[in-house]
Amino acid sequence: MDILWFGVLALLLIGYFVLEGFDLGVGLLLPVTADRDRAIGAIGPFVLANEVWLIAVAGVLFGAFPACENVLSANYEAVVLLLVSWVVRDAGLWFRRRLFTRAFWEWAIALASLGVCLAWGLLLAGLGGFSVPFGLLYGLLIAALFVLHGRRFLDWRLTGGGSPLVTGALAAVPALVPLVGTAGAVVANAAPSANLTVLTFMVLPFVPVLAGAQIWVWRAFGKGPVPAYF
Amino acid sequence: MDVLDLARLQFAVTGSLHFLFVVLTLGLAPLVAIMHTRYARTGSTLDERATRFWGQIYVTNYALGIVTGIVMEFQFGLSWSGLTHYAGDVFGAPLALETLIAFFLESTFLGLWIFGWHRLPTWLHLATIWLVTITAYASAFWIMVANSFLQHPAGSVRDGEVLRLDDFGALLTNPSLSMALPHVLSAGLTVGGFVVMSASAYHLFRRTPDQELFSRSLRMGIWTSFAGTMMVVGFGFAQFGPVTSVQPDKFADRPLAAFGLGMMILIGHLLQLIALALVIVVKWAPRWRFLHPLIVLVTPLPFIAAILGWIAREEGRQPWMIWERLKVADAITPGLTGGQITLSFVGFVGVLTLLAVADYVLIVRVVRRGAHEVALGENPAPAPALTF
Repeated sequence: MDILWFGVLALLLIGYFVLEGFDLGVGLLLPVTADRDRAIGAIGPFVLANEVWLIAVAGVLFGAFPACENVLSANYEAVVLLLVSWVVRDAGLWFRRRLFTRAFWEWAIALASLGVCLAWGLLLAGLGGFSVPFGLLYGLLIAALFVLHGRRFLDWRLTGGGSPLVTGALAAVPALVPLVGTAGAVVANAAPSANLTVLTFMVLPFVPVLAGAQIWVWRAFGKGPVPAYF
Repeated sequence: MDVLDLARLQFAVTGSLHFLFVVLTLGLAPLVAIMHTRYARTGSTLDERATRFWGQIYVTNYALGIVTGIVMEFQFGLSWSGLTHYAGDVFGAPLALETLIAFFLESTFLGLWIFGWHRLPTWLHLATIWLVTITAYASAFWIMVANSFLQHPAGSVRDGEVLRLDDFGALLTNPSLSMALPHVLSAGLTVGGFVVMSASAYHLFRRTPDQELFSRSLRMGIWTSFAGTMMVVGFGFAQFGPVTSVQPDKFADRPLAAFGLGMMILIGHLLQLIALALVIVVKWAPRWRFLHPLIVLVTPLPFIAAILGWIAREEGRQPWMIWERLKVADAITPGLTGGQITLSFVGFVGVLTLLAVADYVLIVRVVRRGAHEVALGENPAPAPALTF
């Protein structure tokens, strides 16, 4: 049961990197994107369904591996940077067409997307006890992979290019490495099996709904005209 | 202020900001879903405009609900790891279920609703807003389960230095939950009703176009706030029995809790009176212009009452993090430094307050602009004609 829930945790974190990866990549690309309305329109319908994977990661961490939750306080500054950047990126998307100038929020989205990538670098490097400069470099690597993924996604969505699956797999690698490295320690810190049984019983009936909703998003917004809400 | 005070203030401010947006989400969601149902049935332009106008307000409000919620969830891990260390095996379960089987779906379905205009088939599109409503309520349920555990650690046993989950069912039938959950949900309806009423009254008073739309929504707002205030007061008083059975001295010797409680009850009764008076004249209210500025004027009251309610509930728990098990002072992350808590305080409280102000400016702007200029569900621009 603990291995199953580690699998859930890993799947959610990898899913977050694959899915939010292209949102953040497109955000990073905004300063050099000519048609920003279309670029943001392309990711728009996916953002809400993508970012929620990380909220689920935190949920699983609290529910199934509460003893591991000290990774957050142990990497305090990185987590604060992650959250503030995430909040500013989201605000940029919601407010861009509505408040001040678009350019202001587009720069906010780009910088905040960079902030999220650097925070991930610091956080994941911190798990392995690496130094801050190494964490920042790891963050830049994440940003580079996300940019690649974001470009591929835009190409696929807007001009009918090949699918972003390969770049998505690449974007997941930075999360995969620490997951493999910490797997033993995480599993050893799982909640008592009674808890995991309750969680499994409660969540299992919803798995088809969760998967179905995500697939629905891709089927509904994977093609056709680009919506203009964000 | 020391580290503990700053961490508490940070949680209180971000939590209050979060609830200001959440309480309107809970109230507006079913109303928007009902309007959308009407539109799906009749297909009339009037119903469509109403759905999009109130939907736009709902969505604008939701933006801040999400971002403040993100910060809330991670704050447990950042500043209150003592709570997870002591009771993570119990407290973590409802939080995990909230994210997995409620919020995950809510966020996904909301994206489908926002971007699904003119794209999803009518009835499937309608289904998404109802699913958003149901999952929002489910979310409220699990959060209230978690909070009620802090008020009364039902379903858990002491195992050495920590608490263990003993009876999941007891967690869900906690006396601190049974009446508090419907109290919170009807507070949402009250807030939603008053906001709908007030925005409608503004347009009726200004004699803007769409008089019919706003006459209808004024009546809907009046009926909703009538039902909301009756239930919120009823469930509020019904709480005293179960709550004092597990927290007998919750409001004694805790001046701030008692103040919050007293003021909330006062405002609650006032709102109840207003809603009752309005429901009697509901037929004529759209035409009685003198009423409209008064209705706009009372809009902040239900929000204030909602925050006072949380002050009563949470201050009434002090100095305990978990009632008679774990003190707040012992729940803070060991070794949390002044620099760290200052950093997160400035980051979270500073940024979220600015964004909250910006969001309210936007909501007011959406309200004033009226139902003829709504971005949500706008017809997509026609594809440029091909020229050779």
